[in-house]
Amino acid sequence: MSAAHKKVQTVKARADLALNDEFLRKAVRFTTERLRNGKKKATEEHGNWEEWRERGRQIRLHTIAHLDYYLNLFVNNARANGVHVHFANTAEEAVKLTLDIAEHAGAKSVVKSKSMVSEELHLNHALESIGVEAVETDLGEYIIQLAGEMPSHIVIPAIHKNRYQIADLLSKEAGYTLPPDTTALAGFVRKKLREKFLEAEIGMTGCNFAIAETGSMVLFENEGNARMVSTVPKTQITLMGMERIIPSWSDLEVMATLLPRSATGQKLTMYMSGITGPRRPEDADGPDEMHIIIIDNGRSLQLGDPEFQELLNCIRCGACLNACPVYRHIGGHAYGSTYSGPIGAVLTPSLNKNIAEWDDVANASSLCGACYEACPVKIPLHDMLVYLRRRKVESGNGNKLESIGMQGFATIMGNSSRLGGMLRLGKLGQKLVVRSGVIKTKLGPLKGWNTYRVTPSLPKESFRDRWETLDQELKQGLKQMDSSMQNRMEELVRKREQEQKEGKGGHGHG
Amino acid sequence: MKVSLFITCLSDALYPRVGEAMVRLLAKYGVSLQFPTVQTCCGQPAYNSGYWKEARDSAKTILDAFEDSDFVISPSGSCTGMIHHYPKLFEDDPVMLERAKRLQSKAYEFTQFLVQVLGVTDVGAAFPHKVTYHPSCHGSRILGVKDEPLALINNVKGLELVPLPFAEDCCGFGGTFAVKMADISGAMVTEKVDHVLETEAEVLVGLDMACLLNIAGNLRYRNEPVRVMHLAELLYEGVKEA
Amino acid sequence: MADTHKQWLEKLEAESRAKQELFMNDIAAKLRHPRMYEKPQHPFRGAPDFWKAFEWSEDERVKEFTDNFLSVGGHVARLQTMDEAKQFIVDKAEEMSAKYVVRQNQPELTALDLEGSLTDSQVSVWNTDPEQYWRARAAEADFGIVMADHAVAYTGSVTVLSAENKGRSVSLLPAVLIIIIPIERLKTRLGEVLVTFDEAGRGQLPAGIHFISGPSRSSDIENDLTIGVHGPGIVYALLVG
Repeated sequence: MSAAHKKVQTVKARADLALNDEFLRKAVRFTTERLRNGKKKATEEHGNWEEWRERGRQIRLHTIAHLDYYLNLFVNNARANGVHVHFANTAEEAVKLTLDIAEHAGAKSVVKSKSMVSEELHLNHALESIGVEAVETDLGEYIIQLAGEMPSHIVIPAIHKNRYQIADLLSKEAGYTLPPDTTALAGFVRKKLREKFLEAEIGMTGCNFAIAETGSMVLFENEGNARMVSTVPKTQITLMGMERIIPSWSDLEVMATLLPRSATGQKLTMYMSGITGPRRPEDADGPDEMHIIIIDNGRSLQLGDPEFQELLNCIRCGACLNACPVYRHIGGHAYGSTYSGPIGAVLTPSLNKNIAEWDDVANASSLCGACYEACPVKIPLHDMLVYLRRRKVESGNGNKLESIGMQGFATIMGNSSRLGGMLRLGKLGQKLVVRSGVIKTKLGPLKGWNTYRVTPSLPKESFRDRWETLDQELKQGLKQMDSSMQNRMEELVRKREQEQKEGKGGHGHG
Repeated sequence: MKVSLFITCLSDALYPRVGEAMVRLLAKYGVSLQFPTVQTCCGQPAYNSGYWKEARDSAKTILDAFEDSDFVISPSGSCTGMIHHYPKLFEDDPVMLERAKRLQSKAYEFTQFLVQVLGVTDVGAAFPHKVTYHPSCHGSRILGVKDEPLALINNVKGLELVPLPFAEDCCGFGGTFAVKMADISGAMVTEKVDHVLETEAEVLVGLDMACLLNIAGNLRYRNEPVRVMHLAELLYEGVKEA
Repeated sequence: MADTHKQWLEKLEAESRAKQELFMNDIAAKLRHPRMYEKPQHPFRGAPDFWKAFEWSEDERVKEFTDNFLSVGGHVARLQTMDEAKQFIVDKAEEMSAKYVVRQNQPELTALDLEGSLTDSQVSVWNTDPEQYWRARAAEADFGIVMADHAVAYTGSVTVLSAENKGRSVSLLPAVLIIIIPIERLKTRLGEVLVTFDEAGRGQLPAGIHFISGPSRSSDIENDLTIGVHGPGIVYALLVG
């Protein structure tokens, strides 16, 4: 995140900065549209998408529900493959382990492929503090590293930068002026990072999936940098969220079907690599030594929580960002943390135990449900956002003014005659502010609303005021209902009662 | 057979004409709606903001109002969708949970009832205007009401339906979101209206007065004359004209 | 350093094993079940059943693979014999003035005698000399030449497995990658290849299993597609047989 964003404490204030950045908004709109159109086309072409989503969800649900078994199996198999496996409960522990490995490898530099977990740990600064250069090698990650920022999108980290800004950053690195031309810029990065790959002692990766039954880890990427990082340096360190597990390679087919299509609309990323341990003694490339650090960092807090356990099903595709109308307008940095968009709005407070610093991001949603609809493993993010808001209120951290307002709401809405009274009062009160049938005042509680809209005035009669007259008029001329309609309605009621009797609930119409 | 009207507080207070159009249209098919006056609000503003205790107080009026109804019809996918959250809201209270599930099973959004229950897709309306349609998020995503309104619209004589660009994007209302995150919500409704204007439609039609209140508010703010109607209004007006 | 590297690794392993128990116990406790040591019933393993029954004819496989590979900027040639493949490589090397060529040490490639035919290029055969730093040989190469272990029509992917005679770098570091795919290795679905790794089992897997679906690419700068960011920018898939 840029320095300007970091100083700003609330989502609302950060969003206001973003809303005034016309370039950013255009870039975000363009990218998210491209990605969501790609997803739409790819899923339609593939067909049976709902079945695949459900299958993906079932595999993730099953694995997380038995995570102690599958993670343990993975660990034992990875060890048998010759991997050094480590556990980190917190970000600090993971950083400590990484630095220890870097020191023992005598590392001067580390090349890294894209890893959201590494972003969680803020690892680059830690490495630099012991004199180890950390180089991001994914093109987008490299750009934002040079800019000293955080990714603003899970899949396209530098979505918010234009080619001129990128040319400036890379020119500074090159020591000469590069033209703002994509091919030239990418060409410079290829050459520059080639040297880095070949000289680095350590390659560091994230992990898209870990296969329990064989102890393998799987990486999806398009550039080839993750392969570089896991092939060229002597030591490989893989940072892995504890929930990345799937049972088998067969299950990988489902994830490989869901992930690239949901992320970018690709049938498969250009590279999908399954790495099973360090190089064999007879191999001439691949790391001599391989470490996997399994990281909790708040993930296990979701286990056993019926409202949030499904959060661990996330496969980090970014489809919810691309579908989200809020993300579309404010971009990723407004969310103020590593993960942005709907998944970030839920994940950040959840991983951080909903501490006061983060809980306001749950308000940055209109609860439209587009995220759930886009999610390849059907995580009900829109429901989770409501649960987070409820937790905040129930823990006594609700907004004081809002709490009073909601108590008032309950008082009025808990009783229809009070509601009627309020409406009469409102009709009297609005006389002060209504002009040609609408309210335009920007004073008081209508300020935010009326900055973009006018408010309609209350009509002379509410529906309940006119009901009696209307009812009498209609009853007089009411025709007989068509018998087929009558039968259908009776049949529906019978079916419903039958299902309720059998305990099926019977509330699944529609 | 007891068929009840769940008017929703917004239509009750601000848009009685929507309720009236719906009641009159259903009367054409011999559906005699009954209106339990103890109903207030579904509780969604409180529920979505995290004030579940307050939401329960409000939801109880709805559960009381429709206890002995066979069908509950409402001109809002969002408020009907809220009823689908009642089992969650009352999950710790077995008695209320049972009542919540029962209500959920009989709650229908207006077009859902018309198409799925009555089997009507052509109300015999004529409406010779250029119209665009905004599918509201909760109706289409929580209830899955997607085809029903389109079937009804497509059967209106003389109506020219112009597709709304980015139709499925939220209009930015989101209840208290429009107040709490006023500028994000403002950006969303501004873009929604930009898209409505792009269609050059004379009429914007929808299924939820909350979204339409939001969109109409921005249209009026920009002095744009596009008429904003609930589908029930459009159909009833079309029936009168036909 | 007081401790040797080995001692340090042993110390880490002891710590890790101790922590593993705590970690797993904590997960089980949070999931509110006793530690699970038995494989749980897994009713949803792999792709849906309707998918597992799906299979294309050879002609369809060739067509779909080709369409997919071309659509991402790769190149495909449909050839009848390995001799034709050899001729293709010789022609390309000449056309592109390939100075350095590195190939896997696979018998099918040895049989092509590229070393004898590519007179203007220096051809290295992977891992034939223990003194060489093979990664550097691959990095300087203009061409990398490999045999595919598997290929998948539905996604337009080629699978290469690492071994003593098959370097991971050969399909990664050169500027141009040429992959020869014997037609009988071209399957319909990804799952047909993946299941072979389940069947083989942990002990039989190579260190590197790589699916390659085209040239290296990125859209990280203003969504503008760039080919050849880190991996090979030019990829030829030669379907033979």
